Amino acid sequence: MRAEVAIVGFGRTPYSRVKPGERIYTVDEYLAWAADLALAKAGMSKNDFDGQGLGVAHAEAAHTVNWSAAVAESLGISPRVLLRADQGGASASAMLIRAAAMIHAGIVDRVLVMGADTPLTIPSIAPGLPLSPERTRGVFWDFQGPFGVMGANAQFGLVHARYLHQHKNRIKPEHLGKIAVTTRYHASLNPGAIYRKPFTVEEYLSSRILSDPVRLLDCVPMVNGGLAYIVTSVETAKKLTDKPIYLLGFGEVSNYYHGSRNQPDITYTGFEQTVPEALKMAGVQHKDIDVFEPYDDYPMVVLIQMEDYGFCKKGEGGKFVEERDLTFKGDFPISTDGGQLSGGQPGGAIGGFMPIIEAVTQLRGEGGERQVKGASIAAASGFGGMTYARNNRSCVTMIFGSEA
Amino acid sequence: MAQTPQGKPLPQITDQTRPFWSAAKQRKLVMQKCDRCGTLNFYPKPWCVECGNRGLDWVEVKPYGTIYSLTTAYVVMMNYPDWKDDLPVIMCIIDLDDGARMYGQLTDCAPDKAHIGMRVQAHFVDISEEAAIPKFRPA
Ligand SMILES: [Zn+2]
Repeated sequence: MRAEVAIVGFGRTPYSRVKPGERIYTVDEYLAWAADLALAKAGMSKNDFDGQGLGVAHAEAAHTVNWSAAVAESLGISPRVLLRADQGGASASAMLIRAAAMIHAGIVDRVLVMGADTPLTIPSIAPGLPLSPERTRGVFWDFQGPFGVMGANAQFGLVHARYLHQHKNRIKPEHLGKIAVTTRYHASLNPGAIYRKPFTVEEYLSSRILSDPVRLLDCVPMVNGGLAYIVTSVETAKKLTDKPIYLLGFGEVSNYYHGSRNQPDITYTGFEQTVPEALKMAGVQHKDIDVFEPYDDYPMVVLIQMEDYGFCKKGEGGKFVEERDLTFKGDFPISTDGGQLSGGQPGGAIGGFMPIIEAVTQLRGEGGERQVKGASIAAASGFGGMTYARNNRSCVTMIFGSEA
Repeated sequence: MAQTPQGKPLPQITDQTRPFWSAAKQRKLVMQKCDRCGTLNFYPKPWCVECGNRGLDWVEVKPYGTIYSLTTAYVVMMNYPDWKDDLPVIMCIIDLDDGARMYGQLTDCAPDKAHIGMRVQAHFVDISEEAAIPKFRPA
C-alpha cells in the first residue's frame, strides 16, 4: 500500500468563535465551503465524485439518521461508496486509510473526505457548554457525568497528573509551556489560526488552573469550521497536479491497552504500535521526518506522542523538548499551522483533519511564512475519543511524502 | 434529560446497570465478575472484556483502594452547571484492592493534601430514590 494514493486537494474554511453579529454557518454550509476549497485546489468539480467516494466525519451538531447519505443529498453528489467515521479526532485519518484501501481495491478512483462541526452553536443540555445530548446518553456517560467527571479537561488532567507522578524529576511545566508557546508562535504566522497573539512561557505558567495540572493555556479552544481533502489514485493524481502528496505509510489501532485491561499504564498511547507499522510501510526512519504534525489539543498529548512515536524514550519528552527547537525553523518542527491549541478545534471530531492538511501544505511548499524549508517527509497523527479512566480511543499514524 | 433538584446529571437506570445503583443505595459497592475467568468488569459491560464470556455476576467488592491519578477541577466543564456548588471537585482514578479501576470523587480532603498513592475508602451519596453514587475519602 506504499504510495498508492495521493492527496490532490484540501481546504480549510475560516474558523469562527461566533462573535455577536457574525453570520452563523450550519454544518452543511461548512462542508460545502470546505469541499469547494478542496475541489478548487484540485481543479475538480463536485460532479467528478458521482460514482466515486464521499466521506464525512461524524458531526455532533448535525446528528441525524443517515447522516452521510443526507450530506450527499445536500451536496447533490451520487457517490458509489459512502464513508462515515465516528472516531473523533481520528476520523479524518481513519477515512484516509479506508479511502486508500478502496482505491487500492479498484472500487473507486477518488474520495472527497469532509468534516465540519459547530460546537459553539450546538444544541446543548447545558447552556454555554458544548455538551450535546448524544454525549449524555448511555452507560459510558452514566458512569462519568453523575460521578462528576468534567469532560476532556479532567480526562487529560488525569493522564497529565499520572505522567507527572511517574516522571516527576524529568518533567517541568516549562516543557509543556514551550509546546504551547510554539503553537502560538506558528499561529501568529498563519492567517487562518483563531488565536494569533504570541505569549511567553511565563504567561503560560501564570494562566489559571482549570483542572489541576491542566492550565487555561493547555486547553484547546472550540471553534465552528470545516475542512476537506481529496485523495485519489496516483495515476489520476499525476494528471491533476504536479504536487501530489503521497501516503507512504499508515498504522491504526483503537482501544489500545498498555498493560492489563483492568489497570493499564495510561501514560502510553496506541502510537507505540501504529508508528512502527507506519514507518515500516513507508520505508522511512525517524531521522527522515522533516516535520511532525501531532494531534495537538493539549501540550501533554503532544509530549506523549513524541515519546510514543519513538523520537525519544518514555519519560524523556521533557528533555527532548528542552533540547530541540520546535519552530518551523528548528531541528524538530511541530504543529506548524499553530495546531489546534492556537488554531482552534472545530469540534472534538474535526480537529483531526488539521494535521493532515498542514502536512500536505508543508510538503507542497505552501506554508508561507511558516514553511519548513525543503520538507519532503511528514508524520501526522489522528487521535480520537477518550476511554473510561484510560488514555484515548483511536490512534492513527500517517507518513506523507512529496516523492513516491 | 432527567435532573436532580440540584441540577446534576442522573444516570438512566437500565436492567443492565440497576444492580450497581441499587447496591450503592444499600451502601455496597458491586461490580460484574466473570463466572469463567474471574475478572472484575467496570463500568458495566455486556460481556467480560478479558475473555468474552457473557456470564457476569454482580458481586460485592471491598470498598478500599489507592488513588492512581487525580485532577482537581476549579471550573465546570462538559458537565451539568450545578456541579459548581461542589467546586473544587477532586476527581480520581481509583485502583480498587480487588483489581478494578473506577472514577471516584475524593471528598473530606483538601486538594493540597490529596495525592497519588493515597489510600481511600468508598462512601455513598444518595442522588435519587433509586440510586446513590460511591465517592471516596481518605482511609
Ligand atoms: Zn472473563
